[in-house]
Amino acid sequence: MWSKKLITAAAIASTAVLPVQGAFAKDNTLVFANYRDIRDVNPHLYGGEIFAQNLLYEGLIHLGDKGQFEPWLATSWSTSEDGKTYTFKLRDDVTFSDGTPFTAQVVKANFDALLDNVNRHSWLESIRLMAEVEKSGKDAIRVIDDHTVEIEFADSYYPFLVELGVTRPFRFLSPKCFKEGTTKNGTQCMVGTGSYVLTNNVVDQAATFERNKQYWGEKPQIDKIVAKVIPDNQSRLLALRSGEIDMVYGLQLINAQAFKQFEKDPRFGTQLSEPVSTRMLIVNSTRENLNDTRVRQALSHLTNKAIIAERIMLGLEKPADTLLSKNVPYANIDLKPYQYDIAQAEKLLDQAGWKKKGTVRERDGKPLEITLSYDSDKIVERTIAQYLQSEWTKVGIVMKLVGEEAQANRDRLKQGNFDLSFNISWGTPYDPQSFLGSMRKPVYGDYIAQQGIPEKAQIDENIQKALSSTNEADRQKHYSYVLKTLHDQAIYIPITYEQNRAIFNQKVNQVGFNPSQFEIPLQKMSIK
Amino acid sequence: MTQYIIQRLLSACVTLWFVSFIAFALVNSIPVDPAEVALRLNDTAPSPEAIEEIREEFGLNDPFLVRYGNWLLASLQGDFGVSFTNTHRSVADELLRSFPYTLQLASLSLLLLLAISIPVGVLSAVYKDHWLDKSVRVFIFASTAMPNFWLAFILLWFFSIKLYWLPSSGATTWSHFILPSITLSMAFIATYIRLIRNSMLDSMKDHYVAYARARGIPEYRIIWKHLLKNSLQSSLTALGISLVRLVAGTVVIESIFAIPGLGRLALGAIFNRDYPIIQAYVLVMGSLFVLSNLFIDILHRVVDPRLKLTGKPV
Repeated sequence: MWSKKLITAAAIASTAVLPVQGAFAKDNTLVFANYRDIRDVNPHLYGGEIFAQNLLYEGLIHLGDKGQFEPWLATSWSTSEDGKTYTFKLRDDVTFSDGTPFTAQVVKANFDALLDNVNRHSWLESIRLMAEVEKSGKDAIRVIDDHTVEIEFADSYYPFLVELGVTRPFRFLSPKCFKEGTTKNGTQCMVGTGSYVLTNNVVDQAATFERNKQYWGEKPQIDKIVAKVIPDNQSRLLALRSGEIDMVYGLQLINAQAFKQFEKDPRFGTQLSEPVSTRMLIVNSTRENLNDTRVRQALSHLTNKAIIAERIMLGLEKPADTLLSKNVPYANIDLKPYQYDIAQAEKLLDQAGWKKKGTVRERDGKPLEITLSYDSDKIVERTIAQYLQSEWTKVGIVMKLVGEEAQANRDRLKQGNFDLSFNISWGTPYDPQSFLGSMRKPVYGDYIAQQGIPEKAQIDENIQKALSSTNEADRQKHYSYVLKTLHDQAIYIPITYEQNRAIFNQKVNQVGFNPSQFEIPLQKMSIK
Repeated sequence: MTQYIIQRLLSACVTLWFVSFIAFALVNSIPVDPAEVALRLNDTAPSPEAIEEIREEFGLNDPFLVRYGNWLLASLQGDFGVSFTNTHRSVADELLRSFPYTLQLASLSLLLLLAISIPVGVLSAVYKDHWLDKSVRVFIFASTAMPNFWLAFILLWFFSIKLYWLPSSGATTWSHFILPSITLSMAFIATYIRLIRNSMLDSMKDHYVAYARARGIPEYRIIWKHLLKNSLQSSLTALGISLVRLVAGTVVIESIFAIPGLGRLALGAIFNRDYPIIQAYVLVMGSLFVLSNLFIDILHRVVDPRLKLTGKPV
């Protein structure tokens, strides 16, 4: 009797299980996992997932593989002599997926919506410069004819074209989606000109994108893209192994150990991008013990990047010799790296007056004490900190470690209340312009860290000139000065270059990387 | 009875008022600016102007008591405000959206809990020191000691990766809830088996059992009807707390199995310093605790008529 019931129960249970296996038979659908919901994909705000915004919305200019400018919704563009006015010729065959034609008026409405919310975008120099023009009573964005737009800035600013190419905020939303003529208080729909449309989003579970049937450009190869939400790191990788998802993509979603494991598994493919950003230490030159250039140079010589890249990053990040990797625009200049050289470091410390007494170096009876603060949630930072502590102690430096909550660590940086702290550059395509640009503003740790060197004023001036220069050679000259001075002054100890990562199963082809580390080039991928 | 219920409800209100204040005060004492976190979350470097604008928008510049007062008044009308990190979603909608998933998970776990712990608890008391009882004791020991995230990954690995029987994540069908509810109920099952087993063993020494045997009542009736009914009292009290703990204890499990329930909502809110959601979550959980305790107390009076005579709650 009981056994019969058990068998029946087992049979019922197994039928409940069956549909799961059916779910594996997907045709031309790519399922990948993200750690959070796509949220609000309003292209003019920052509250949505970038990969989703990038599928739905397009901009005037496309950033190519090497960061070069390619036509997108604009067919051509020109800059005025003084670099302050840009003129864009628009494509005349583009419609939004709701049927609205894409015109110069639409461009103006979208840009005006951004200027309507200027504080939120104030981290972007170009918006600030447009707003300044508007303040003088002039229109910064002018419609010349149905397919020509002119944009004016208060000062020339070359990175505008890069900012046009990144996912937000310069992307176009159908004017039918605007709320009360603007977008800052939300949108009525999520319609763009992109190659995909959002067909469904079950909050915190999955978002579904399907090919835009009226797309003006080259059709993407995948019919349907499903972005599943799996918050837990391990669960995501298990879902990849079980075949429920096809791909995990992104620096934040894949740790080095997991990447190594999948690298060995023949059922999966793995890919590493070119360097996207720099992991570094900021050295605060205003601190008494770190004010001497020789001490900072000694610290650079004492940092064995090869070991950190190999042992701590498991080879997934490359040792960094300079503040910005050579593949970053304007950063391919000749700088002599600080080689790992203990003897040289000891010599420099001796010259700076820090003599070894017993195991500790002292000057005027005070020990050479340095504090390194880090975000305690970041295991990698803690490991590097502990490694450096063990190394630097050997040459007589008293090194203290302070691990703290992420926000507390950021506040410390902002207030300049640190000796040494970890930092990561803004990453492609924001390097070098936005990263160096931020060094002029007191809210970033860089600003205070650089205050102790005599060239700070010139550095800021050169950054400003680089950003507003209209001539390539001039711009290079100013960037070179900034990068060389910071290098010689050893304000930063570059550690490694981060690389973007992806793991995928054999169904997925042509996985690659966009210049922006936050995007996923889903439009270029295909399914076997 | 009615008077008793009214009295208890009034004291529940006072308790909840305390809970609301503590929830609000604790969350607001976190030394982090939620405006900055909300901006950072979106992968941009926040400028001071943007932070100030958001602070103003969220009303963070008002004094503490003003904010508490505003929040309490609005909450009483069911308006918990909007989420800081998704400003186009209201907290009430977020709670309503996630609650059904958690309820589904918790009720399935409760079913498992009852279906397993009662028979196993009774059997291990009846067959005390038999191999059955001994293996149950090993199970209790193991499952109490095992952290639930570990059990979750073992189940996932075995059933999703090795056997391909069950999905590893999501919440679209009932099969998605099987592994999570096993994980969630496991530690509770162990506790209840022990509770039932021990109180059964205690009751077995009571005189009424000997009398019942003397009257020739069949052993299975003595066990399942008389003994079990008398032994469930202590479990009932514990269940009042466990009911809510089943709902509140889903935080880790929902993250691992990617179930968009209340626990995950709360966890995300804590990471993102989403004050309105954290406050509402604490308040809702507090209310659930208070109400389920009240419910169980009333149930006690129904089950055990002796309590009515003294008029005092247990």
